[in-house]
Amino acid sequence: MIINLKDVVKLVGISIVCFCAAFVCTFMLNYYMDVVPLSSSITDDAVGALYKAQVATAQFTSAISGGVLGIIAVIMLLFYIKLYISANSQKLGILKAFGYSRIKISMPFCLFGFSVLIGCALGFAFGWIFMPNIYESLTIEGIDAISIKFHWELLFGLVFAPGIIFSLISVLYAYFALKSPVLKLIKGKSEKVSVGEDKKNTDRPFLLDMCFKTLKSRKLLVFFVTFSCFCFSAMVQMGLSMEELVSSIMGYMILIIGLVLAIITIFMSATSLVNANSKNIAVMKVFGYSLTQCTASIFGGYIPFALLGFAVGTGYQYGLLQIMVNIIFSDVENVPEYTFSISAFFISLASFILCYFVITAYYVYKINRISVKEIMLEN
Amino acid sequence: MIKAENIFKSYGETKVLKGVSVDIATGEFAVILGASGSGKSTLLNVLSGLEKADEGIIECNGVRLDGLNDKELTEFRKREVGFIFQQYYLLSHLSVESNVKLSADLVGNKNYKEYLSAVGLGEKLRNKPGTLSGGEQQRVCIARALAKNPNVLFLDEPTGALDEKTGRDVLDYIFKLQKYRGFTAIMVTHNENIAEMAETVIKMNSGNIVEVYKNSIRKTAYEIGW
Repeated sequence: MIINLKDVVKLVGISIVCFCAAFVCTFMLNYYMDVVPLSSSITDDAVGALYKAQVATAQFTSAISGGVLGIIAVIMLLFYIKLYISANSQKLGILKAFGYSRIKISMPFCLFGFSVLIGCALGFAFGWIFMPNIYESLTIEGIDAISIKFHWELLFGLVFAPGIIFSLISVLYAYFALKSPVLKLIKGKSEKVSVGEDKKNTDRPFLLDMCFKTLKSRKLLVFFVTFSCFCFSAMVQMGLSMEELVSSIMGYMILIIGLVLAIITIFMSATSLVNANSKNIAVMKVFGYSLTQCTASIFGGYIPFALLGFAVGTGYQYGLLQIMVNIIFSDVENVPEYTFSISAFFISLASFILCYFVITAYYVYKINRISVKEIMLEN
Repeated sequence: MIKAENIFKSYGETKVLKGVSVDIATGEFAVILGASGSGKSTLLNVLSGLEKADEGIIECNGVRLDGLNDKELTEFRKREVGFIFQQYYLLSHLSVESNVKLSADLVGNKNYKEYLSAVGLGEKLRNKPGTLSGGEQQRVCIARALAKNPNVLFLDEPTGALDEKTGRDVLDYIFKLQKYRGFTAIMVTHNENIAEMAETVIKMNSGNIVEVYKNSIRKTAYEIGW
């Protein structure tokens, strides 16, 4: 078996993302589906306005959570599969060399969809556990308590469909990624053989050179680091600046979900960073480079991209909320005007810097524990 | 002078070194000879400060390694030793020149290019390791190891991945450079023929040293069998 459950367990980050998306969407969409049929019975204008606001909130929260978290989950999954194929390219290449078809090798990748299925199933279950409290917080004055009904279509749409879709995405992605020639796979795609000449003059010191060239050779990681910082910035600021638009309980929920997701994506990118560079770090350690020098040469180059991700995330969350407010609350009266929250920006920037230091400290500790012998035995 | 006394090393339940003691004089070319699993690479790792022994005393050029922490061992390796491995461990995304600069910069050596010229790669400074043959890659490793002017050079099966002709060429480079520069060289190999190039041969079997002898005549890389 190319992929076993242990590999799937490593996708706990994706399970958590899916858990959060399914959790929020379950009670919000369930509420939406329970409250929509009541529209014809509302005659009072004031009650109607409140009703519209609550329906809009449900749409808004579901769209944000489902859409944003879904995209994050897809990107994380594709990134993980790419890393997995790189790390196991030799095994996969041998199978291909022995005559296994691409589709046969790719099929087991559907197991990665399990992480999504488990996350969504748990999210759905917890959504149901918390549903009475959420319904209570969304009570509309003038309308009798809304009774909770079970909707099969939600169970399918939020649990089974994502599981199936993500399994298909995994298989298809693996299928196309395995298109590489057998020899290239056997030689190890992770150790992408750089050929040709280094055109630029390399008069700069080794550590600086290492820093630049590590960035250049691992563009996907640069993207993922930028993306994870983008998620951190967008999710945290979104959670902090939505208090005017949604109830406080929802605001806190989005903030907590945002924090959990942001930390997961940052940790995933930092882990990938260290794993992808472990051999280089080991060689540097063998020759006598200190821990600080190794860390700086590996992490240093990513700092500008992390800050770029944070800045783009800030703009994105502001733009997204602005658009959402304009579209979804367009029929609702007395919606507070949404403005850029400077306090949310500074709080998230401070927590970002704190997170960065904590994660760096953790990885300095991890790098220190990279065993030169282990790395050598791997080859 | 490298001195090890009563070295023990285990990995879990497996005892790899069982009370090994060796003495290697400064400027000597020593070979640790043994079959797979004899403990020769572990002894090399312990002597070079890549791994810590469980028990025993290790002294390298006046420094007691057994009491050093990771940071001090790193500093020791930076100052004293160079490495050449069978699998090269070149950084594939860096040019030949940058790979050599990895060690040259550690000691502020600005003349590192002369080492690349010495091993015949003066024209391939900007090539990536992936464009070089196995022999050329190993020569980059030699230049990288020597560019930090080490007092001791550790070699772990440096010709293990090479064909006979290339292997002989690589050994010849090492042999001549060691003679010319006078550093201590300790090489691990399973090839008894290569041991004929050394001044001192340390034979290992099952974690013990079974024989230590000196070669009265040192053969060159082109004189030994393969």
